[in-house]
Amino acid sequence: MYEYDDIDQTLVDERVAQFRDQVARRLSGEISEDEFKPLRLQNGLYLQLHAYMLRIAIPYGTLSSRQLRGLAQIGCTYDRGWGHFTTRQNLQYNWIKLEETADALADLAKIQMHAIQTSGNCIRNTTTDQFAGAAHDEIEDPRVWCEIIRQWSTFHPEFSFLPRKFKIAVTGSPNDRAAVRVHDIGLRMHKNAAGEIGFEVIVGGGLGRTPFIGKTIRDFLPKQDLLSYLEAILRVYNQFGRRDNLYKARIKILVHEIGIEAMREKVEAEFAASKDGALKLPQDAIDQIAAQFAPPAFEKLSGISAEYANAFRTDFEFGLWARRNTFKHKQPGYSIVTISLKKEGAPPGDASAEQMNAVADIADRYSFGEIRVTHEQNLVLAHVKQSDLPAVFKALKAYDLATPNVGLASDIIACPGLDYCALANARSIPIAQQIALRFKNWERAHDIGELKIKISGCINACGHHHVGHIGILGVDKAGEEFYQITLGGAADEQAAIGDLIGPALNTRDAVDAIDTLVETYLRLRNSSDERFLDTYRRVGLAPFKEAVYAVA
Amino acid sequence: MAKAPKLNSQPQVVTANHLLSGDVVYLTKAASWSRRIADAAVVANVEAGAALLAEAETQAKKNIVIAPYLIPVDASVTPPKPIQYREVLRAEGPSTEKARPAA
Ligand code: HEM
Ligand code: SF4
Repeated sequence: MYEYDDIDQTLVDERVAQFRDQVARRLSGEISEDEFKPLRLQNGLYLQLHAYMLRIAIPYGTLSSRQLRGLAQIGCTYDRGWGHFTTRQNLQYNWIKLEETADALADLAKIQMHAIQTSGNCIRNTTTDQFAGAAHDEIEDPRVWCEIIRQWSTFHPEFSFLPRKFKIAVTGSPNDRAAVRVHDIGLRMHKNAAGEIGFEVIVGGGLGRTPFIGKTIRDFLPKQDLLSYLEAILRVYNQFGRRDNLYKARIKILVHEIGIEAMREKVEAEFAASKDGALKLPQDAIDQIAAQFAPPAFEKLSGISAEYANAFRTDFEFGLWARRNTFKHKQPGYSIVTISLKKEGAPPGDASAEQMNAVADIADRYSFGEIRVTHEQNLVLAHVKQSDLPAVFKALKAYDLATPNVGLASDIIACPGLDYCALANARSIPIAQQIALRFKNWERAHDIGELKIKISGCINACGHHHVGHIGILGVDKAGEEFYQITLGGAADEQAAIGDLIGPALNTRDAVDAIDTLVETYLRLRNSSDERFLDTYRRVGLAPFKEAVYAVA
Repeated sequence: MAKAPKLNSQPQVVTANHLLSGDVVYLTKAASWSRRIADAAVVANVEAGAALLAEAETQAKKNIVIAPYLIPVDASVTPPKPIQYREVLRAEGPSTEKARPAA
């Protein structure tokens, strides 16, 4: 795990002290709300509908068990005993008091965490594959590059006031689990013809009001040039990005307006001028950071463990869970476990302090004390011995954390929506809960197979609805909550923006419509191997649309 | 965000968030703030609403609350019920947390 050095720690500690002082000045009336708001946002503190919300950065989604316990403690002390994991691999507390925020931030600093760059027009927390360093299909651990980006971008003076927020995602694997094509910059590691590892650089993706799939600006970028190239892109964006219109300020609009060729020309020119400058990464600096992400001390194992095979045969529930919630590890004898935070009927991504503590304990015992947060709002134990899987299953189950639904219809992404968010049009969480309950029957859910449902409470698309196989967007129709449904979106290496099926539906009809869509798919699919998305791509919108609006 | 409707002569109250806690609060008849909409001062026309809001803004300047604004309510029920769904959620709390025990 990456550990803070003195620079990191001092910086974070100073920031807490500064914020304490800013709050005091706000409370004494020395500064007004208008002056204070940007300061609190720079420290991750938003004012939501019911309370302040504190957003904590979880760099590249990796946590130590100690950090997770710390987050649980903060949840108990300053929130109502819960934390909410989000699509940005972050954690949000929904019930924070201004007067206690500095204390909460001080507690965070003790576990080497903070809320910096979780808001504002800066380079936000870089996100990545939750299976980094573990997945069998990985070329290289992308967290090394996330950390390099973090060190470069934190408080970068030139990029603290960009035209708009800026999000970077990195995948080290051809199977993109980090949605790199819908970020401002996406980086995909791959090997060139000479066998060297570098980056495909994708730019101008994004969701929100105007969704775009990112375009490749460079097929292959040598690793040592990463920061020079990123800086070149940021410079071009900083210079040409539109500051006149909030809705046109993201880099995706610039790329769309001038075209990828013109963008490439500008970036390459900037890059050519600076590529052999101070940002060129020396190999020893890369190695030093890579050492922080060295693989844990795996045991040499071979063959299939008897405990695992036996449990698979004899324990039906375990088998179901192992099939859905474990993933192939690069190290023989190990598996990756996804912990579902999507028990049907519960708010997606919520974890109680008790659950966080339990996961921390299980990670200590079975997964080298490390936990990952996924953009799909689940947790991951990255390195579990297969022989330990039955014990891990049992331990998770005791805390309601073993729902066997990863990637299934009830594994829904939902933004906070109108229950919490001041920008929302409609609620997201309750409709997610109602839909998930429709797929509680495991037989049906497993028969349906992979189906990604993603829900946002407004066009900002924090719940990634544009890239859901089924996307649901909350809209306000004369004061009532309505939902628009899109089909065929995808966030992976074949990223696509979903197609709108028709007029928005009220809550009840929208929930029914999801059932109808799934039944239509079951009727149309060629075989049980054809996923919902594949069927949709084959047959198109028409049969689904007909089915929904015939009954609605 | 659902746009706030333009208020006519209809029952209305002033709401804001409490600066220190962030809590949803309502301006009371005694010109103080309460977390319960039941305590809110309800006025029935545009002029009285403007006066109520002016009072609230004075208090915002004194750093008691943030960003006060008027919302329409149905005053025929007790406690008064906001017309907009967003404000019902603000008054009652998230619909998702009702079912769940405090951990
Ligand atoms: C305090 C509540 C929130 C506010 C005020 C907020 C605000 C916004 C806004 C204004 C946008 C649109 C940006 C644009 O199009 O330029 C956006 C996009 C986004 N937000 Fe949020 N958001 C909130 C909560 C969340 C949460 C909880 C998550 C994670 C679950 C999240 C993740 C995202 C993502 C993934 C996008 C779309 C990607 C993009 O184009 O940037 N946000 N948010
Ligand atoms: S999508 Fe809209 S409703 Fe949902 S969290 Fe983002 S801003 Fe709020």
